[in-house]
Amino acid sequence: MNAVVRNLRVLRRMTAAEIAQQSVYRGAWLIFMLANICVPIISLLIWRTAIANGAQLPIDERYVTTYFVLLGFVTMATSSWMAGFLANDIRLGKLSTWMVRPASLLVGFVANNLSEKFLKLFALVPMIGIVWWIFRDSMNIPASLGRWVLFAFSIVLGAILVFTIDILIAALAFWMDDVSALVQARVIIAGVLSGSVVPLALMPEWSQGFVDHQPFRYTVSFPVEIVAGELSGGDLVAGLGIQFGYVVAAGVLARLVWAAGIRAYSAVGA
Amino acid sequence: MTYKHAQPPVITAHDLTKTYTFHQQRAGLGGALKSLVRRKYETRLAVDRITFTIEPGEVVGLLGPNGAGKTTTLKMLSGLLYTTSGELQVLGHTPADRKHEYLRRIALVMGQKTMLWWDVPAMESLLLHKEMYGLSTKEFERNVAELAELLEVQDLLNVQVRKTSLGERMKLELMAALVHGPEILFLDEPTIGLDVVAKARVRSFLADLNRARGTTVLITSHDMDDIEALCSRVMIIDHGRLQFDGALDQLVRTARPRKLVQATYATPVDGSRVSGLNGVTAVAVSGQTVKLEADRDRAGEVMEQLTRLGPLVDLDVGDADVEDIMRDLFLRRSTLGEVS
Repeated sequence: MNAVVRNLRVLRRMTAAEIAQQSVYRGAWLIFMLANICVPIISLLIWRTAIANGAQLPIDERYVTTYFVLLGFVTMATSSWMAGFLANDIRLGKLSTWMVRPASLLVGFVANNLSEKFLKLFALVPMIGIVWWIFRDSMNIPASLGRWVLFAFSIVLGAILVFTIDILIAALAFWMDDVSALVQARVIIAGVLSGSVVPLALMPEWSQGFVDHQPFRYTVSFPVEIVAGELSGGDLVAGLGIQFGYVVAAGVLARLVWAAGIRAYSAVGA
Repeated sequence: MTYKHAQPPVITAHDLTKTYTFHQQRAGLGGALKSLVRRKYETRLAVDRITFTIEPGEVVGLLGPNGAGKTTTLKMLSGLLYTTSGELQVLGHTPADRKHEYLRRIALVMGQKTMLWWDVPAMESLLLHKEMYGLSTKEFERNVAELAELLEVQDLLNVQVRKTSLGERMKLELMAALVHGPEILFLDEPTIGLDVVAKARVRSFLADLNRARGTTVLITSHDMDDIEALCSRVMIIDHGRLQFDGALDQLVRTARPRKLVQATYATPVDGSRVSGLNGVTAVAVSGQTVKLEADRDRAGEVMEQLTRLGPLVDLDVGDADVEDIMRDLFLRRSTLGEVS
């Protein structure tokens, strides 16, 4: 059995076990979901009020509405929360129990990520469905199935990119005593540059060249723009190309840093 | 418990060395601020050029005081740590490469770290190991049934791990570690925190495992009862150096070459007569009881002399307690002399 097939089988088993484990804490994921959707809904109401009061924005009400209705889902689907946990496992030597077993060290974190997202769907999709129904008349809803397929594909790439960035940050724990400040910085920077707080279209014009090409755009904003915006065919191809490029580059870098980190691992503790 | 095979050693270490680099920081705000600007790095030699081989089926105790280098050695053997220098082969592999073919032939159990999922039954972790190690359903079910019976945990497999006692959890840890049938089992303090009954069960299980499957076991423990019950051979590491490598009784003879003798008489004994005995040292007389150390080679002669001191009621002859020997060795930081 080759390594990929074996790891996939391990992933399937771990995901099932993670779902069983997380089902124990039903209240927690419901609260997480409310938090996930509350911020976009509040932002949506603020921006709609601003437009209704005559604010001159480079985007219209339909874009704003579609953007914030989809934002909660895309943010959840591409999110990763493992950097702090993985860094802790490295720092406290907890990685050891996985290192002596024949499976990828990250498969547990992938399983945790997938299982939580799977469970969150059950709470998040109905919530978004209700918001969608309320604002259905003032949203951009592409008729073409192709757009939705690209939207899904871009979300997958975005999720891989966020996960890989998390590995890179966590791997610094092989050399640094504490990476929690970096983890926190990543959360703040990504919040702004991914478009989770404010649509990137509303960023100052002088910053657009940077904002459009920096990696965090491709973790949240770009997938949402595929549905909400009016990206041309050329924009789509270029955007997906850049997104894929970032995934490959971050993946290669993470692999190199991780391999060097494992050599420096001190497996602290008995 | 030692098996002699015409097979190559399962572990070969030559001049195995490991150093750690770390920075020192003084306590307090001043120290913290100073370390922000300038850090002083130090290198610590944890394992210093140790050389040994381990044959298939051996049960070897790795002993030493805290910080001696025994757990670091175990971590290098199991592939957790890269060696700084020296050569290391385990089952024909370089452990730090952590190849699948290597990892599926070993297991490591750490008394203070769990490999079981906390919130779900142990069976979930076992099923995960089935996939990790590529076990067939038939093989998996047979191993689970056999281990569950040996460890007496049949009723615990479907209980949430966090609801089991420490002793039960250690048995489940052993089960998870052994379900794929490893050829080498590395144990780091496997009985730490367990009560006497649980310790005895774990020891008995490990002895049975070694007998039945010929599993090579390398164990670190501060509990000398573990070592006495299981290990035919011990290696003592101190300051990163291998100070002793041999049979447990050889260690006793080397560290305490004299026999301990306790004689009890029906009437009080005259102390001056005892100190005049040939081949005797360290005499202590208390009423009707005489405690002394006798040269191992002259023990028979000493017994004969003791019978002439008065009406003998009881005579007890034995070796020093391993626990006492180790305590003395660690306090003196070992005077056995190095073997490598």
